[in-house]
Amino acid sequence: MSTTIPIGPFHPVLEEPEYITLQVDGETVLDADMDLGRIHRGMELLAQEKTFDQDCFLVERICGICSASHSWATALAYEDAAGVEPTPRARYLRTIVHELERLHSHMLWVGLAGHIIGYWTVYMWGWKYREPILDALEAITGNRNNYAWYVPGGVRRDVPDEVWPPILKALDEFNDNTNLLIGAVLDDPVILGRLKGVGILTKEDAIHYGALGPVARGSGYDIDLRRDEPYGAYAECDWNVIVQEDGDLLAVSVVRLLEMLESVKIVKQCIKNLPGGEIRNEIREIPRSEGVGHVEAPRGESFHYVRTNGTNMPERHKMRAPTFVNIPTYRPRVKGETISDATVIFAIIDPCYSCTERMAAIDPTGRRIANAQDLIKLSHQKTEWLKKNL
Amino acid sequence: MSKQVIESLRTKFGDRVDILERNERRVYVTVANEDWIPVLRHMYEVEHGRLCTATGSDRSTGVELLFHFGMDQHGTVVNIRTTLKKPFPKIESFTQHYQAADFIEREIFDFLGVEFTGHPDPRKILSSHDRPADFHAMRRDE
Repeated sequence: MSTTIPIGPFHPVLEEPEYITLQVDGETVLDADMDLGRIHRGMELLAQEKTFDQDCFLVERICGICSASHSWATALAYEDAAGVEPTPRARYLRTIVHELERLHSHMLWVGLAGHIIGYWTVYMWGWKYREPILDALEAITGNRNNYAWYVPGGVRRDVPDEVWPPILKALDEFNDNTNLLIGAVLDDPVILGRLKGVGILTKEDAIHYGALGPVARGSGYDIDLRRDEPYGAYAECDWNVIVQEDGDLLAVSVVRLLEMLESVKIVKQCIKNLPGGEIRNEIREIPRSEGVGHVEAPRGESFHYVRTNGTNMPERHKMRAPTFVNIPTYRPRVKGETISDATVIFAIIDPCYSCTERMAAIDPTGRRIANAQDLIKLSHQKTEWLKKNL
Repeated sequence: MSKQVIESLRTKFGDRVDILERNERRVYVTVANEDWIPVLRHMYEVEHGRLCTATGSDRSTGVELLFHFGMDQHGTVVNIRTTLKKPFPKIESFTQHYQAADFIEREIFDFLGVEFTGHPDPRKILSSHDRPADFHAMRRDE
């Protein structure tokens, strides 16, 4: 006989109000149902009341974490409808912001995954390392999130050359920190115990459900729009698509971790090879037409379709975020698993917070008693102890 | 880059598909209601297209469905279009052939009132639970 366990619609582990019901027999999950619709904001109707310039800024509000993706996809859709290409400098500047966004989004997920499995060290580390990336985005665009960066035909403002050296330095540090984190996470018996062999999504299911982004690539489904339909400056950069075959939670986590190193490579190449010239091919009017724009957001493809009617407002603007497609993959993943793994399996599609945390160990008088390196050393000692004693 | 898919559709369906190539990466294909499922199945099962999403619109000619297939191996998007008669638009569900159509067909049912026959779980998906059953937010009926 099965029992029904409700999760949500408001629950500490869920980043947004979603209602999941689990059918369980003892500790084993038999089936799951996802009920959406508690945060619907009518964006598609709102877009029909905005001019195409304003529309790019509206769609950033879909998600604070991958706001650049929606905005870029919308700009591409209008450029497709108008038959206009962005300038070379705009393509590079767009790519830089997009990849920095991937870095902070993936690092946010790393922290959040640590939080969900009760591993607070990973949570603190992840969110600490994320901070310099947000600072870099602020230096380039003026905002930590919702950058108002992408406009049809190019980007909103130019960036002076003196902005880049501190960002390159921050990227080098981020690269080192990420390598450290990857080593720590993949070497940790507790994390491996929670993620390895848990919540498997087969490649066949990934294709049949139309899975996207790291969720798809973690199951061996080798798709990435940055390579498959190159936009921005991706075709001019040297980087690799990360694919893992196992389909479990560990495989998706590894994809996200290794992708960050690739993103660092892309941003550094874009800064090094940034062309001069104009930042925008201005679009004065868009004829009666239709256009599709889609980009590889941190969570997978963001897809936007616009139909224009010769005025300065879209007649129809369809938006689809990757989570809409990835949510159904929860069902094949969670069947047969235990209740205690149900939340982390849901989190593997990458929940979405906007927040910041910093880390420092201090005594009651406020004096710093341990720095990050001391804590890393302690963490390594703990891992060694666990390996010997578990 | 779209040539292979266009040739394949023309060979299989002949004059029953009306193909508009807006540029080398974007193709729009219009089909009649009775060819809807055969063309969609061809896109998924033969051409290995990935259903990105679908757009439903209430237009003067009826309710328009536009299914967007990402052809990742070619770097193109092929959009399949059909128009359904109002006031009660109805067409066979694609979900029984391709699971990726599940949520988006429910969304189009929710906002435009399109009945997808044979859908395994025909519930509304995004609008509030106390919404009247016959209210569809994106319909423009008088």
